[in-house]
Amino acid sequence: MIKFFKSLALVALCFALSACFKEPLYHSQSYVFGTLVDISIAGERDERAAMLANHVFQDFQNLHNRLHAWKATVANQPSELGELNAAFSKGETPLKISPDLAQMLLEIRTISEKSEGLFNPGIGQLIGVWGFQRDEFTAVTIDAQKIKALVKANPRMADMVVNNQSAYSNNTALKLDLGGYAKGYALDVAVAYLRQQGVKNALINIGGNVIALGQHGNKPWRVGIQHPRQPTAIATLDLADGWAIGTSGDYQRYFMLNGQRYCHIIDPRTGYPAQHMQSVTVLVPPQAANQSQAGVLSDVVTKPIFIAGATQSSRLAQAFGIQDFMLIDERAHITVSKQMAQKLHWVNADVQFTTLP
Amino acid sequence: MRMFNLQPYLKRLECKRISAYFLPGDMMVLAIGVLGVLYLFELLWSTEHATKVQIRLADKIYATYSLKLQREVHVPGKLGDTVINIANGKARFAKSPCQGQYCVHQAWLSLAGQAAICLPNQVSLELLGENKPYDSLNY
Repeated sequence: MIKFFKSLALVALCFALSACFKEPLYHSQSYVFGTLVDISIAGERDERAAMLANHVFQDFQNLHNRLHAWKATVANQPSELGELNAAFSKGETPLKISPDLAQMLLEIRTISEKSEGLFNPGIGQLIGVWGFQRDEFTAVTIDAQKIKALVKANPRMADMVVNNQSAYSNNTALKLDLGGYAKGYALDVAVAYLRQQGVKNALINIGGNVIALGQHGNKPWRVGIQHPRQPTAIATLDLADGWAIGTSGDYQRYFMLNGQRYCHIIDPRTGYPAQHMQSVTVLVPPQAANQSQAGVLSDVVTKPIFIAGATQSSRLAQAFGIQDFMLIDERAHITVSKQMAQKLHWVNADVQFTTLP
Repeated sequence: MRMFNLQPYLKRLECKRISAYFLPGDMMVLAIGVLGVLYLFELLWSTEHATKVQIRLADKIYATYSLKLQREVHVPGKLGDTVINIANGKARFAKSPCQGQYCVHQAWLSLAGQAAICLPNQVSLELLGENKPYDSLNY
């Protein structure tokens, strides 16, 4: 009988302990930046977590409205970027811009240089010609003449002059589209805000770009990496505190024309969509305070690698201090950096891949 | 509790082959039983297979359904009705008013953690199971 009570007490203790260890998890979704945004906050009371998540969504919506690349006004708010682009197209009149936009533009110029011009948010006109400045992507009639002329006009971030919180362009063809930067920037804004509010554990996902704060319970946050051609994850990995992961793929924003896939990542050298990759994934560690943060890097670094292809991948990743990356090329061949190979858990154990030396 | 005395049985096994005690039919019943248990284990205890589908419309959870019951769900998005099919432990976008139809091309989802989104109509599906294989999806 005593034995029975002893075991009963043990069971009760186990339940009590598991209840203590199970911290609350708040989860919320919304559509911003033309994509799905997903915020998880662990270890906070639901009401507080909801308040914090709403604040983050509000920040995202503001950024989206201010940085919108092809709508002059969003929700009655004029796009600051739209006004700047209008000024660029008219010639050399410097336009006053907000301090944080000036900071962003300077950062983008540095990143563009580091990427050897392959990351070039100044080719907004080309992106528009390919029909990717719309809410939905349908096949366009390819205007080879216009594409040629736009490549020849050679808009580069170096054409932009930013000083005293004003900006102008030496090239009227320069038209900014921050679609490859804003989501990453927003991740860093959110992490800074949540940390400042004392949040220890959160996971933020903006259209597939994910950043982690702390962990989930007693384990790190775990992220699945989407298979580029199947509706399932190809691998999972643990995302430690402050780390971010980003993927550029040809499967989210693209259209098909005569059996060929045209994706949204345009090679600024040719003016045509890059066509040799299915996806490029980078994993970014926390960065020092005085340089580009993990969120931004997780968004931007995939683009030059996607455009340049596997042979240039190590060199380009290295330029940004990134060691963990995975490439899936047009023939579905998977290449993984040595460091990344150690972190991935493949969903299909028989997967074939090449590990870089 | 008194234990079964196995001694006499073991002794008999020593001198005769097992086939002397089991007819082919017995073997078959046994084999079918074992396979049946394995199949049910895989079907019911496997943590990979999802049990529920959560449908979200914009920033709200629209509905959560079991994957066991067959049903057709109409979700009123901003472009019109998105039709979702649920059947045999699977779910899919069957019809969508969007232009790209990427959501419909995602086809059937059956594993926990799998998700499909229709961005234009702001409808998403996520399959839920006992064990979530990951907290969020990178794409």
